Amino acid sequence: MEYGIKPGAIAGCFVLVALLWTFPLQHVIAYPFVFLFFAAIMGSAWFGGVIAGFVAVVLSSLMITYFFIPPLFSITVAKESQSFLAAFILSAIAITIVSSTRKRAENIVRTARDQLESKVQKRTAELQRSNLEIQESERQLRMLTEAIPQQIWRADTSGRIEYCNQHLLDYIGGSADSLRGESFFTILHAEDAPLFRQGWEAALVAGGRFETEARVRSAEGRYRWFLVRSIPHRSEDGQIARWYGIHIDIEEQHSIQQRLLSAHEDLSRFSRTMSLAEMAASIAHELNQPLTALLTHAAACRRWLRAEPANVARAEAAADKIVQETTRAANVVGRVRSLFSKTDYVRESADLNGLVVDLARLLRDDAIRRGVSIRLRLAEGLPKLEIDPVQIQQVLLNLALNSMEAMAEIDGPKVLEISTKINGSNEIAASVKDRGPGFSERVKNNMFDPFFTTKPEGTGMGLTICRSIIEAHDGRIWATQSEQGTEFQFVLQVSK
Amino acid sequence: MKSADSSSVETVFIVDDDAAICAGICDLLESADLRTRHFSSAEEFFENWNPSMSGCLVLDVRLPGISGMELHAKLMESRISLPVIIMTAHGDMPMVRKALKAGAVEFLIKPFQDEELLQAVGQAFSLERAQRRAESLLNSIQARAETLTERERQVMGLVTAGLTNKEIAEKLFLSVVTVKLHRGQVMRKMQAESLADLVKMSERINPPQGSGA
Repeated sequence: MEYGIKPGAIAGCFVLVALLWTFPLQHVIAYPFVFLFFAAIMGSAWFGGVIAGFVAVVLSSLMITYFFIPPLFSITVAKESQSFLAAFILSAIAITIVSSTRKRAENIVRTARDQLESKVQKRTAELQRSNLEIQESERQLRMLTEAIPQQIWRADTSGRIEYCNQHLLDYIGGSADSLRGESFFTILHAEDAPLFRQGWEAALVAGGRFETEARVRSAEGRYRWFLVRSIPHRSEDGQIARWYGIHIDIEEQHSIQQRLLSAHEDLSRFSRTMSLAEMAASIAHELNQPLTALLTHAAACRRWLRAEPANVARAEAAADKIVQETTRAANVVGRVRSLFSKTDYVRESADLNGLVVDLARLLRDDAIRRGVSIRLRLAEGLPKLEIDPVQIQQVLLNLALNSMEAMAEIDGPKVLEISTKINGSNEIAASVKDRGPGFSERVKNNMFDPFFTTKPEGTGMGLTICRSIIEAHDGRIWATQSEQGTEFQFVLQVSK
Repeated sequence: MKSADSSSVETVFIVDDDAAICAGICDLLESADLRTRHFSSAEEFFENWNPSMSGCLVLDVRLPGISGMELHAKLMESRISLPVIIMTAHGDMPMVRKALKAGAVEFLIKPFQDEELLQAVGQAFSLERAQRRAESLLNSIQARAETLTERERQVMGLVTAGLTNKEIAEKLFLSVVTVKLHRGQVMRKMQAESLADLVKMSERINPPQGSGA
């Protein structure tokens, strides 16, 4: 409806204006004056579109025919004026088409521009909103990293710290700068720094997770144990974009663990000496019983003989008892000996290298705690041995513990070296070497003797037991010392 | 009271689960002319115990069932006055101290010399004798005190508390003569040779407590 009325109205208005202006002007201008109608048609087509243009063409033609083409005030056209009218109509149609086309093109351009503008505005608003959201989420994330009661940091691909949370700064009592580059390693305990550096640099190269335990110095200069864990963050193309790290305070656990370990150590040492002491006590008791009987009978025998008159019959009975009880005591001694030598006689085929590797695994924690590094030098292709593996491992354990204890006080690197080798055609040798201060001539001469010890809490039985085990295997054990330290060696026969 | 067995004669009672040790100790003690009797456990000793047993006890610490130390504690508890000698093959000092503190006469560490045992037994016997003597003396004083009349007991109490005859007479509303009469009776019945003697007897029956006022 609107579409129908609006073009008509526009055309009507323009044509009416043209008509009203043409009346006075035709008396001024001599030639038939129709140009205002062209203007009206152009305006209608421009503002009202092609339909308004055509309406204006029709109206203008009618107006011209009626008012200005003779016969005047009639819609009939004189013959001589028909070509004029036709020219007018054709010109008017051309104008309409040109004007309306131009107008349409302009409209399309404008609409396109308007759409573009609104799109741009929308995008800008969206961008602003998402920007705010990002800021907010970043703020929240940061708050989260500050709220976590752990020390958190972020580093670039080279491992340079970019960001760290307040906890970390508070703990070290410095700025983030003091965490950058070399200075980072200075806040680590000197004993832990080399291992840390090694691990961290390896992780940076390999791009894997990094996790280690290290002591970190606090602002007050005290060291606490931390679990340091770092993971790489990879961008979409798989390259490492960042490193994220966390330091978890494990001082408490560490000290508990430490206490537990030392308690365990005390306990095992205690139980070791206890069992030995208990065994000694029970042997002493076993022997003391017949000895008591023996001694009392012997004393009685003497007294019977010294009596006036001597009671020979009782003395003889006592002497019989003495013989009996001596035999009993001898039996006890024999039993004790068999207890140590014959029981649990085991000989099975075993690989000495395997025993050493097992031992190293067993000693690992202990060695770390004592700051000792264990080196293994194992000969390849060792023939199997017919041994009691538990006993031989006990020997190795004993020697290794002795060696680690010997290095407790030294300044240099503490290295425990366990090696195996083939000695000639039928012997295998094992050696346990330390860098301890060694021993005196007196110690050297007595170290394998029972109850000989240089340690305040030692039983003096360790090396004695070692030697009896090795000798029970038809082997030999000895110690040598050089400037580098002490070496205990034993050789075992290869079974044929 | 007098039975056929030897329990009223001083005897060394040995408790050790090791028969050979019992035999050895018996042999040794018999060579010193002592009477012996042995038991293999604390329980066996208790089963055979009677109050007339006199002498001493030689106990091994490690016994099956009730241990030597427990047996000793039980004896103390039940006021059996047999002196105890403890022996052990484990010479640990805390145990020695504990045993001696608990009243053992001696602690012997196996194996021991004959003299050690004989000395300990001699010591135990003399201790037991002294105890017995003290006990029988107390018994006889108590028996004598039983024979006193109520009035005589009153007088004895006041006399031994240090009051004069006159004071006693005033206190008991008696004449001095009557008091003297009672006092004479007390001295005679209690077989007291002097006032000091009577005071001592009275202290034995009623051990002074606190300030004794």
